[in-house]
Amino acid sequence: MLLPDYYEFCCRVKIVAGHDALEQIPDLLIERGAKKPLIVTDKGVAGAGLIDIVSRALGDRVHADLIADDVPPDSDLRVVNRLARLYRDSACDAILAVGGGSVMDTAKGINIVVSENAEDLMAFSGVGALKRPLKPLVAVPTTAGTGSEVTQVAVIKDHEKHLKMAFGSYFLLPDISILDSRMTLTMPPFITAMTGMDAMSHAVEAYYCLQKNPLSDAHSLAAAGMIYRYLPRVAGNPDDREGRLAMAVAACLAGIAFSNSMVGLVHNLGHATGSVCGVPHGLCMAILLPYGLEYNLHKRADTMGELLLPIAGGQVYLATPPEQRAEKVVSLIRGLNEELHAITGGRHARCLREITDREGKPSVPRDVLPQIAAAALLDGASIYNPEDTDYEDNLMILEAAWEGKPLDRSRVKKG
Amino acid sequence: MSIVKDVPSGTKPFKRAYVALFLWFTGRAIQAAAKVDREVRKEFEKLPDDFTFSLGCLPDGPWMVVGREKGVVKYLGGDSRGRPVQVRLAIKSLDAAFLILSFQESTALATARNRLITDGEIPQALAIIRILDIVEVYLLPKLIASLAVKRYPSWWPLGRKLGGRIGVYTRTLLGI
Amino acid sequence: MNSAAVFSFTCPVKINSGNRALEHLPFELAGLNASKPLVVVNAKAAGPKAVRTLLAAFGDSGMTPGLFEGVSEATDLGVVDHLKNLCLEKKYDAFIALGGGKAPDIAKVLNLAVSLKTPDARRLSPETPLRHRLMPLAVVPTEGADGLETSQIACVGRMVFSGERLAPALAVLDFRLAKGKSRIRTAATGLAALGRAAEAHIQADQNPFRKAYSFAALRFVRENLMDAVADPGNPKAALALMNAAAMSGCAFSNASAGRLHKLGQVFYEFLGIPQGVIMGMCLPRVLEDEFRQSSGDPAALLQPLAGDEAFARTPAEKRSGEALSALKQFLAALRGSLGKELPQNLREAGVSGFRREEVLDLLRKDEDGPYLCGVVEWMTDGDRERKG
Repeated sequence: MLLPDYYEFCCRVKIVAGHDALEQIPDLLIERGAKKPLIVTDKGVAGAGLIDIVSRALGDRVHADLIADDVPPDSDLRVVNRLARLYRDSACDAILAVGGGSVMDTAKGINIVVSENAEDLMAFSGVGALKRPLKPLVAVPTTAGTGSEVTQVAVIKDHEKHLKMAFGSYFLLPDISILDSRMTLTMPPFITAMTGMDAMSHAVEAYYCLQKNPLSDAHSLAAAGMIYRYLPRVAGNPDDREGRLAMAVAACLAGIAFSNSMVGLVHNLGHATGSVCGVPHGLCMAILLPYGLEYNLHKRADTMGELLLPIAGGQVYLATPPEQRAEKVVSLIRGLNEELHAITGGRHARCLREITDREGKPSVPRDVLPQIAAAALLDGASIYNPEDTDYEDNLMILEAAWEGKPLDRSRVKKG
Repeated sequence: MSIVKDVPSGTKPFKRAYVALFLWFTGRAIQAAAKVDREVRKEFEKLPDDFTFSLGCLPDGPWMVVGREKGVVKYLGGDSRGRPVQVRLAIKSLDAAFLILSFQESTALATARNRLITDGEIPQALAIIRILDIVEVYLLPKLIASLAVKRYPSWWPLGRKLGGRIGVYTRTLLGI
Repeated sequence: MNSAAVFSFTCPVKINSGNRALEHLPFELAGLNASKPLVVVNAKAAGPKAVRTLLAAFGDSGMTPGLFEGVSEATDLGVVDHLKNLCLEKKYDAFIALGGGKAPDIAKVLNLAVSLKTPDARRLSPETPLRHRLMPLAVVPTEGADGLETSQIACVGRMVFSGERLAPALAVLDFRLAKGKSRIRTAATGLAALGRAAEAHIQADQNPFRKAYSFAALRFVRENLMDAVADPGNPKAALALMNAAAMSGCAFSNASAGRLHKLGQVFYEFLGIPQGVIMGMCLPRVLEDEFRQSSGDPAALLQPLAGDEAFARTPAEKRSGEALSALKQFLAALRGSLGKELPQNLREAGVSGFRREEVLDLLRKDEDGPYLCGVVEWMTDGDRERKG
């Protein structure tokens, strides 16, 4: 196990997992002196009946009738401020966030405003601006993918000023994350597949990027093995409770890994593709993951090869000569994408040109690739990628990912 | 006598002087590279007109401040003098700064090791890091530069490497 | 995944490990809103160099740390009370426990007393409710760490305090303090990490979050203990062991106290024998019994203790057995390297019959008493192969 010359690792989140983990929330809140949480969620989550399940689980030991279910898909400063007012006016003493990435970001934003008694959230952006623990925040993720229930960052958009504010602090970590299989049971196969691949990209990128460390590694190895095994299972059988819980746990492990080790090229290009073309993040991750591995392979072959054992098991591991293990990992991940493509009746796209919008029109036309390659230069994930990337490198990778052809590794510039 | 005694923290004059000198030199080199190297110039042109950034260490320096004034890139000394700083690259301690600036750790590795904190808009901070990488390639012999940057640009034509290096050095030393 | 019941995991400890980790301390404390830490250390055990190195790390930070050097095995709640009054008076707002053994115990309980503003710290007991957040505590282990530094327990005067909030916010592991001089102390650190990590790793309630910590700890012990024992001054190996110990403490806080831990703890508290020495003595015996009673999952030890290739080669039904023999081989090699320095039984460890009876009396009160006493009897004799 590699010991870096220097590393830091921190995940101060209490994780509670099980088929009836939600029932623990009242005790956990009371332990922290809270009785009246503000429930923050979105229309999709509430519409799927998940808030009803949460409310039933909370029972009558805490007052949990204050539900704000109008968090937009894109976090919004105005919503943060409005919900913070609601929190204060209703004398709440904790926040219960039920949802995906945007709900978590919004909840973290509200928590800054109400804990610091702030008027202007902007004053708390930047590192080191938060110096005290905030109000108790309980995170209940409803997608097994983003890992934002264990990350210390929040991105809030100011749509009036066209600003994207990033907040980062260990105090933004939720106090508690609840992983309950009931929260993902109704997720359709297509969403299950791409959010699951988002988690896979966290586990794998965290394992080969520059900030990797022994603890992020241990989380990555466990997560990658579980996702490879359970993702096709739950994509094919949505009601599989064991599989759903395993995926929730695996996505959380992967979230812990990547928030401590950071991610590289795959997220770098994925963020750019998402912002230029508005395509789902998870789908970009699924498509780009094999290319992230291929592009960095000359610097990280041994490391990548270590992922083969948890992913494929002992027999395949032994049957593959050590120098071919990294490439085997790449082909297994491509195979997993193929399998998910088949399970979802083709909705899980295998390459960028296969992604379509609701009308069936291609979402990523070939001529926007240069624009994506340029946008990627503005994204911070490139810092943690083992090999450097410039505009030409980005374009080369995007073209291969658009076609769905393996990367021509002889074209990768090596220093 | 109390069983608890207070121990005033000492100072580290040698490391502080080294870091200050290096920051001074790098600041002037950035100013020079902005005139000599096309890529550095292009990076700066994409930044706002009165853009200012600083690099230094916590809790109280030394710092290096570089900014654009009427389109010209200038080293502005060790103190931002009330100028608003858009991007601040802060190293967590003097010792960490010494590790980075004596090339025991590359900028990317130091970031990856949580030693460097970036405040400000990420796209602008990335531009600064690219500029610092290019400047390091000019200032340092290949052996040391390849420790300092992720990928040494071995594909640069000899003219850019040699001509650029002479230009950057001359201007840095003369301060023009 | 076995998921019959709800499981939970928490690790409040941030780990900073490696080159110049100490120099980040002022930054970390500032981030926790602290500016005046009190260093708590057993100066005799940790040595003047460790104290100097730690204090020098505050150079240029503008902070003025306080220093209490007088921790000893005899430090009790009376001393804690006196320190508490000084802390409140001088407004220390964070604690740094330097070294292993008693220093982190005292720092944890002192933090409790100061944070709660307890009128009389002598009245603190394990039953004292822990409803509030405590002040920031950083632990900085030195040679001889046993992993309990990062855990949520503190032992003072025969009382065991335990609670999530007692755990430190930060563990700082630095090459300069990890390097040691004593082969036996280095071995004890590794064996204590091995013992507690192994127990957490095989416990029946599945918890992948805990396993991440125990897995990394076990790997580090396997890959570094022999090198560190051969040369305790080897910074890389020593730091890796320090990492293993810190991780084992985090895993331990999320597991039920195992048999190895209980045995290590009681001999340390009563007789001052390093926990790792005792745990090393009874490791194979205790794990073998767990295997026989199939109460845990010893097969899980094979991958971290024997490596990826050996794990892949072994069919599932043979993994428990192979894990045990890998462990025995590892311990035999360690004994081979240390020779007479590492006591093989209680007699070699200098435990007299009289003191042994005292330990047995205490162990009898444990719910697992008869078993633990049986192991002590077994450890007493020189010829363990015949009896075991």
